[in-house]
Amino acid sequence: MVSLVSVFLLWPALTVVFKAFFSDAGFRLDSISRALSGTYQQSFLLSTQLSMTTAIIGGVIGFYLAVIVDRMKPSSKIRSATQAWSAVASQMGGVPLAFAFFAILGTQGIATHILRNFGIDLTEMGLTLSSYWGWVFVYLYFQVPLMFLIVSPALSAMKPSWKEGATSLGASDSSYWLRVALPILFPVLITGALLLFVNAFSAYATVYALSSSGGQLVPLQIRFILQGNVITGEEDLGYALVTVTMALLALAMISIQLLQKRFARWLA
Amino acid sequence: MKSKFVSNLFAIIFGTALVSYFFLPLLAMGRFAFQVTPVINLTWDNLFEGWKFDSITRALLNPKVLETATLTAGLTLLTIFITLFALLPIATFVEVARPKWKPWLTAVTILPWIIPPVALVVGVAATFRPFAPWFLSNPLSLSFFYAIWMLPFSYRAIAGQLSMIGAKTLFEASQSLGASSLTFFFKVLLPNIRNSLTVATLLIVAAVTGEFTFAALLLKQTFPVYLIDLQSEDVRSGYALALLVIIATAVLLSFVTSSLRKRGGQFNAIGV
Repeated sequence: MVSLVSVFLLWPALTVVFKAFFSDAGFRLDSISRALSGTYQQSFLLSTQLSMTTAIIGGVIGFYLAVIVDRMKPSSKIRSATQAWSAVASQMGGVPLAFAFFAILGTQGIATHILRNFGIDLTEMGLTLSSYWGWVFVYLYFQVPLMFLIVSPALSAMKPSWKEGATSLGASDSSYWLRVALPILFPVLITGALLLFVNAFSAYATVYALSSSGGQLVPLQIRFILQGNVITGEEDLGYALVTVTMALLALAMISIQLLQKRFARWLA
Repeated sequence: MKSKFVSNLFAIIFGTALVSYFFLPLLAMGRFAFQVTPVINLTWDNLFEGWKFDSITRALLNPKVLETATLTAGLTLLTIFITLFALLPIATFVEVARPKWKPWLTAVTILPWIIPPVALVVGVAATFRPFAPWFLSNPLSLSFFYAIWMLPFSYRAIAGQLSMIGAKTLFEASQSLGASSLTFFFKVLLPNIRNSLTVATLLIVAAVTGEFTFAALLLKQTFPVYLIDLQSEDVRSGYALALLVIIATAVLLSFVTSSLRKRGGQFNAIGV
């Protein structure tokens, strides 16, 4: 496994980082600074914004869903169905997902058609799938179930004695959540949000299928350069974009590792 | 009492909204694939007219579909083989003989989260293309990257069960009874972790069947890549086939979660 990872993951990744900083002429920072300015800066801002928006909205909805499901009996059919479906939907970030949303909310979509009969024109209102909020709407399809899957185990690990203790000391339901449950769950919630962020940042196929203007997102900019659709010699820029992306994701993953340790303390 | 009623009501509304959000797009997809009436002409009166299932038969009889599905099936098998071959020995060794290495192994297996497919492809183009172009020209080369890409999931499925069954104790017991390391591996370990091997395998099947980024960027026409071409050639067939893939994945993964629940575990979708 070590050799597999070294050859097929580390060698390519480190080569990219090396090439981003060194040319034949020696050390340089010009590609990195290009990757962080102008259009490309806009791309990083847009990707970050989209990832954060979907991580926060998806995180809140997914957490609330997990809380509701956690209150159900362990044998509940709804509970196991939600878990099974979440496992499916969290993996569904691909092109078929974009197809499904076109069928309902595209210009020829069935919901668009029904709403038009009621005099509501989604396209005129700017609510199309190729718009920013359209992407957000579609991304939630895999973000919400992912958050659910991350938070559920933590919720079921909460000890009932904590709740009983708080109640016997006179805490109301809301003060239990505010003073006890949320502070304990805080690292898990942030972990979840960060993972959702990473997940959205790397997502590629869905927006690619949804709209041509999705080309503004970082993964699609990288693809554009990779396919040689720009003047030759632009590979360096591609290396720099990838390096910045990996640095950003590494930061998120390191924070996750640190937070995991904090929650583990409570379970010990 | 009243506040409990309000919060229950809210939960029901919330649940209904989520169910509609998740399933209406799939229903709309099915309608598009199997009803020949264009959306513009659709009214409540003709909602049940014009349903035809020619699109799915056409899709399944398409020679290109068969060809690309064969490639994807081959890739899946190879990915499973590489994963088991690369992962099982080292995971077992670390669990049994070097427990102190575990955090390092775990750290290595989350690397794919930091290096997303599109980034890895750039690296692959910069390394393999000049040094080993013959390797990339074979479409089956994708399986190595798929094995890496699935590492966070496959490792956790296997490592989790290894520590749960107490592989170290089992190893010591089998040694004191005179079994060799190989006997231990094949006769004691494998039968005990069968469940997690099934889970890892099914997860790989589901993921490879839908993988788009690597294949599209490395210009390999796998099944998911062809699905997009098919959609522009014959829209209804493309939709029918995409729906079929979603349903098949759902069936497969619900099998994963139910087999996990039987052993008291939970689906780890995140691999962290």
